[in-house]
Amino acid sequence: MKSNIRNFYLCVILFCCAIVFSSFVRIMGADKVAMPYKKAGLTTEQAAAHLLSRFTYGAEPGQVEELTKMGLDKWLRKQLEGNLEDKELDQMLSKYDAINFTNSEVEDVFPQGFRINRWAIKDGYLHKDSLNNGNSKAQREAVQAFMKDKGYRPLQELYRQFISQKILRAAYGQNQLRELMTDFWFNHFNVALNKNQCASFVPAYERDVIRPNVFGNFEDILLKTAKSPAMLMYLDNFSSSGVNVPMEDQEMMLMADGNKMNVEEKAKNKARINKIKQQIQQKKKQGGLNENYAREVMELHTLGVDGGYTQNDVTQAARVLTGWTVAPLGKEGYGVGNRNIIERLGSNGLRDKGFVLDGDFFFNANRHDNGEKVVLGKKFPAGGGYDEGVELLKMLAHHQSTAKFISKKLAVRFVSDAPPASLIDKMSKTFISSKGDIKSVLVTMVNSPEFWSQDALREKTKSPFELAMSAVRSLDAQITQPYELYTWINRMGQQMYYYQAPTGFPDNGQYWINTGSLLNRMNFGLALASQRIPGVSLNLAALNNHKEPESVEAALLTYSKLIMPERELGQTVARLKPMLNDPNLQQKVAKAAEQNSANKQNGEMADQQMDMKPDKKEKMKLGNGKKAMENPTIKEQKGNNTMLAQVVGVIIGSPEFQRK
Amino acid sequence: MVSRRGFLKAGGLALFGIGLGGIPGFLADAVASTVTPSLFKKKKILVCIFQRGAMDGLMAVTPFTDNFLKAARPSLFMTAAKGNGNEKPLIDLDGRFGLHPSMAAFEPMFREKRLSIVHGIGSPNNTRSHFDAQDFMESGTPFKKGTSSGWLNRAVGLLGHEAATPFQGVSITSSLPRSFYGENPAVAIRNLADFNIQMRGNVAGAKMASKSFEDLYDQTSSSLLKNTGKESFDAIKMLQKTDVKNYKPENNVVYPASALGNSLKQIAQLIKMDVGMEVAFAESGGWDTHFNQGKDTGVFARNVNDLSNCIMAFWNDLVKYQDEVTVMTMTEFGRTVAQNGTGGTDHGRGSCNFILGNGVNGGLVHGLVNPLAKENLEDGRDLAVTTDFRSVFSEVADTHLGINNDKVLFPDFEGKKIGVMKA
Repeated sequence: MKSNIRNFYLCVILFCCAIVFSSFVRIMGADKVAMPYKKAGLTTEQAAAHLLSRFTYGAEPGQVEELTKMGLDKWLRKQLEGNLEDKELDQMLSKYDAINFTNSEVEDVFPQGFRINRWAIKDGYLHKDSLNNGNSKAQREAVQAFMKDKGYRPLQELYRQFISQKILRAAYGQNQLRELMTDFWFNHFNVALNKNQCASFVPAYERDVIRPNVFGNFEDILLKTAKSPAMLMYLDNFSSSGVNVPMEDQEMMLMADGNKMNVEEKAKNKARINKIKQQIQQKKKQGGLNENYAREVMELHTLGVDGGYTQNDVTQAARVLTGWTVAPLGKEGYGVGNRNIIERLGSNGLRDKGFVLDGDFFFNANRHDNGEKVVLGKKFPAGGGYDEGVELLKMLAHHQSTAKFISKKLAVRFVSDAPPASLIDKMSKTFISSKGDIKSVLVTMVNSPEFWSQDALREKTKSPFELAMSAVRSLDAQITQPYELYTWINRMGQQMYYYQAPTGFPDNGQYWINTGSLLNRMNFGLALASQRIPGVSLNLAALNNHKEPESVEAALLTYSKLIMPERELGQTVARLKPMLNDPNLQQKVAKAAEQNSANKQNGEMADQQMDMKPDKKEKMKLGNGKKAMENPTIKEQKGNNTMLAQVVGVIIGSPEFQRK
Repeated sequence: MVSRRGFLKAGGLALFGIGLGGIPGFLADAVASTVTPSLFKKKKILVCIFQRGAMDGLMAVTPFTDNFLKAARPSLFMTAAKGNGNEKPLIDLDGRFGLHPSMAAFEPMFREKRLSIVHGIGSPNNTRSHFDAQDFMESGTPFKKGTSSGWLNRAVGLLGHEAATPFQGVSITSSLPRSFYGENPAVAIRNLADFNIQMRGNVAGAKMASKSFEDLYDQTSSSLLKNTGKESFDAIKMLQKTDVKNYKPENNVVYPASALGNSLKQIAQLIKMDVGMEVAFAESGGWDTHFNQGKDTGVFARNVNDLSNCIMAFWNDLVKYQDEVTVMTMTEFGRTVAQNGTGGTDHGRGSCNFILGNGVNGGLVHGLVNPLAKENLEDGRDLAVTTDFRSVFSEVADTHLGINNDKVLFPDFEGKKIGVMKA
């Protein structure tokens, strides 16, 4: 007896040790960054450049040296924590008030257009007979007056602020990997501003659902997206409802169906059974089930299209997720019906009746199909309520197919368009063993030789956003009007936040590089370098410590190295040299430039003064690290600088710079 | 993944020295006025116009003998009978359907049997969300959100020959529409004149930059960048053959100064330049008429007037190419049978569309519109969808473009065609 007890304690102790040890190993595993770049034949500088090209939006001047000095592993660990102080960025973002709004605040301050018209009519600003779709001037003015009086702002302003913050974070934020991963997961769990119903909720979605969870557990980010207003609206689950039959009625139906009732009982309950059947029929006719989210959560978010599910699994999963909807947001926003339920029942009543109100999420038990379901062979008994949805998502999150699907997608993002199977295997093993710990999967990726192999170096093509950001970063440009860059990024083929399909943007060079977009990449380089993008300024001379290159050729070499550190530049330089050496060329270019310079300069000066918002002056004072902004001299602007801008523009638009 | 094709590799055009900056003289002539023998095998061109916002099909083409409609739309209903004060009557097409008077430009085409109308067309998915309905119509899979490609992109892939140029599929929009998402080459161009290396005002600089880029891309080790680079520069040269800014349409045609007019004008230019375009896409907006849509005048009248006049300007400009071109309009859904409280109509189900071309089974209102009694309406309120849009889209694409794989064009669709094109 005694020895039994002793054995028991021993077992408990051993068990505890095992738990402690295994979690210790896990933490160690997640932490242990051992990048085998030397084995791959790379110098530390080359490895730093590669790491920067994949885990940041592009190296800033001097950053390769910085990393080499600091140690690559230390830098990466800090990036994986993603909590570096970001004073300068915070200062820049401080002028965008709306990016911090809750969903409810957004609903109250930025109402949808159709609501504004309705309210303006109600309040007598507009007469309904004068309304038309032609947007007459009188109508626009009346609406503007109404909005001003009520403190409403146009949604477009929210989008602009939101887009601007993304650009500033990518360009200047210290937590670069967190931003890249935010971009990755946003694209994975794509939602889009072109769907009105979800658009208002997209800023909070990125801020609260995606960004804080990018390195955490896959299960968490999956669950949070599932419960977010943006996703609920984008894939229509907010409207999905099923037949809710009270449990006692269900039991009765089961008994009646299973002939567990005797004739007398059947006769007694006949009327009631018929009534329930009728109700079910009626509900079915209303067609409340919407499968969009259930399908895409399997196909796009977790298992992948070949992940081994059937149409029946989709329907069953949709039934599991009925009743998952958006909580009432704002004073007049979505969900008036739910508001009544919540007010009527109170928090205790809600809990007792199986409702769940969690932030912006609402589980409406009345709309939940509480019958039995089977998804991927797993039985969800009748009456599972909200919890069965959570259980379903957890099951999907930890599925073998999901481990593979997510690992591959990460490898495609960070390693190559066609990552080797060996790498995906290692990453999915980590995904399973770490129970979906994203950070551990990333560490496994960089610890693998495949990440550093020759096949991976410069293999990825920058997306238009990455191209723009890497250009801005490498030239140390000052951005005062981020939205101007957005229009260029759009022109180059990436209308950020407006990708209509839930697939998100494809992540491969084939997609990004096509005839029209490639030309615009070249034009972007020229426009940026010659400072023709309003609100984006640079000082090329300062970039080279005000050392004026002796010749055009020298400029080419110097600036190529500055912009593309640790790259093999022989070809680029050799190809451009003969052209730059055309004896008349410089003259021609300068002359043409001067012909324009009069009005151009005037225009740009005016532009610049307009843009000189306090924050820019602030920024100039703060400087960006080492280099302070100085006004280029007139000589630089007119003469050599034109040529220099041309050279830099060509480098930004060159094939080498499109790769990362 | 679709392999990139070397631009003009098989086309033979390179032989004429385009790659060296020369422009074959006869190509330049092609733009002028006469049709010259094409360098490519004669290709058919499908032009699709998406009317975003959901057109009120019942006002565009009104079943004017229907008293249920008359009752449901006290201030919107029009008739074909004259003598209604100053109000212009509908154009009586067949004793039952009347064309909106602001679309008078379409009438001759209908009479000549080159224009056909499908009424009661729409999606089997009954969503009344603009976004979802457009998404489903453009992906061509009305119950599946995750389809990565658009139906026009798949159409390009099914043309059965390699793209000779990057302009096989062109959208005159600032970004690629959902219809063109996918792996086959398609390009979005907002403005043909912008398709060049640009340095505002600095011609010499632009030339130098252009030459530098061309040389750099020619030498790069990435075949993707190299091939696309070559395509891009060849494409520039193709477009530069003609003065796109000072384009003179044929037949003294004047395009309406609207977004759609501008788009169709550019599509006409591309057709005349013979750049190998086979599928083109343009958009028309302003159809979401919840408020005071008007009758023979007003917002709706202006919209259909623009639509029909733009299409007819395009058609008449292409007088020598009409055998090659078919134009098809589409809209995500129709609008409620009954007017709403603000003199407009709300989101409904079935609408109508227009197909113009010499191969069209024209002069008919195809499809099925039952009397608009409540019991015949979808959900008791909307014109029922009696023709699946995929039935019409696939028939037009199959007949005009010679596509014969509907399983790929519209996966999961098994419906019948209804004869909108000549057999």
